[in-house]
Amino acid sequence: MMKVMIPVDGSAAANRAVDYVIASVAWLKQAPQIHLLNVQWKLASGNVKLFIDQETINDYYREQGNAALADARAKLDNTGLAYAYHISIGIPAEAIVQYAKEQAVDQIVMSAHGQGSWSDLLLGSVASKVAHLAQVPVLLVK
Amino acid sequence: MLEMLSSAQFWVDVFKIIVIDLLLSGDNAVVIALACRNLPVAQRKKGILYGVGGAIGLRIVLTFFAVSLLALPYLKLIGALLLLWIGIKLILPEEEHGEGNIKAETHLWGAVKTIIVADFVMSLDNVLGVAAAAKGNVSLLVFGLLISIPLIAWSSQLVLKLIDRFPFIIYAGGALLGYVAGEMLVSEALFKPLVEAQHSLHWLVPVVCAVLVLVVGKWLAARMAVKAEAVHLVDGQVSSAGGQSGGSK
Repeated sequence: MMKVMIPVDGSAAANRAVDYVIASVAWLKQAPQIHLLNVQWKLASGNVKLFIDQETINDYYREQGNAALADARAKLDNTGLAYAYHISIGIPAEAIVQYAKEQAVDQIVMSAHGQGSWSDLLLGSVASKVAHLAQVPVLLVK
Repeated sequence: MLEMLSSAQFWVDVFKIIVIDLLLSGDNAVVIALACRNLPVAQRKKGILYGVGGAIGLRIVLTFFAVSLLALPYLKLIGALLLLWIGIKLILPEEEHGEGNIKAETHLWGAVKTIIVADFVMSLDNVLGVAAAAKGNVSLLVFGLLISIPLIAWSSQLVLKLIDRFPFIIYAGGALLGYVAGEMLVSEALFKPLVEAQHSLHWLVPVVCAVLVLVVGKWLAARMAVKAEAVHLVDGQVSSAGGQSGGSK
């Protein structure tokens, strides 16, 4: 079975990649195995852990991650497709590529733009970094 | 005051203070955001407000304290050496501390206390850097602090993203701290006769200190180069029937 991974950040643009995968299921002989991934920036460094307990930090990541996954999951729930969802903590592009490697996904489908095209302009998009680092084909959805 | 605003040197110094503040206070911003999470919703805003207020007040007091301390002989020398180390630390990759035995604060004043104590401990580097960059100029100090406070409270993610995109920022920051440390060394009363005799030391020492931070930082970083792996927090499955099984680790 083909494994497709969709990294999302909760933005409408990112969720268009989910729409694309849902639409493309009909073209395939067998429904792909879908992995949703949201990466939370690792905000809490070593020093923060001296003052804030790990459970509170993880709760924060979980809350933010679940919020970012919510729309994408709703879309998939509506179709009745099976999928897996994950939240990782790290640097987005690198965590996406790491997860793709660990799960041996066959393709990464993601939006060319993330949360804001303005910040993409200044900071470069996660997508271009993933395309550069990934070992598997990366499909960019406009 | 108005003349000062139109001088280029003033804005260069303000810029230095802002950069130092931004690079050295991300952790404080995160603690402020997280410390109040376990409070009842109604108290969260209050907790953040009191915590930020207390932390800012403390920061101002500490900075002025640092400035007056630095006027004493020898302390500039010590301060400069500390700053060099802070610059090198900035370049080094994060070390993971073991988890401390900390309990989540569920009371308003407990959360406020966490914020202020954390700020006290984690802002010493920052206070020293800002005090050095201001070179004893009080209005510059106040101006720099005022500008950087909103930056500190809302910028932690932006700084992470910027550093990810432009990793040289961290080196520029390290070099800046080295440069400021050098300026402090030159102004140490102990070396006054030497510096007056040899005017080029005024720029030579800061530049050498900046390069020193970069070289030592790079060298130590290369020795401990371990790449931080992403951590998986939540793994869940939704089966095609619409049923759900999932869990988090």
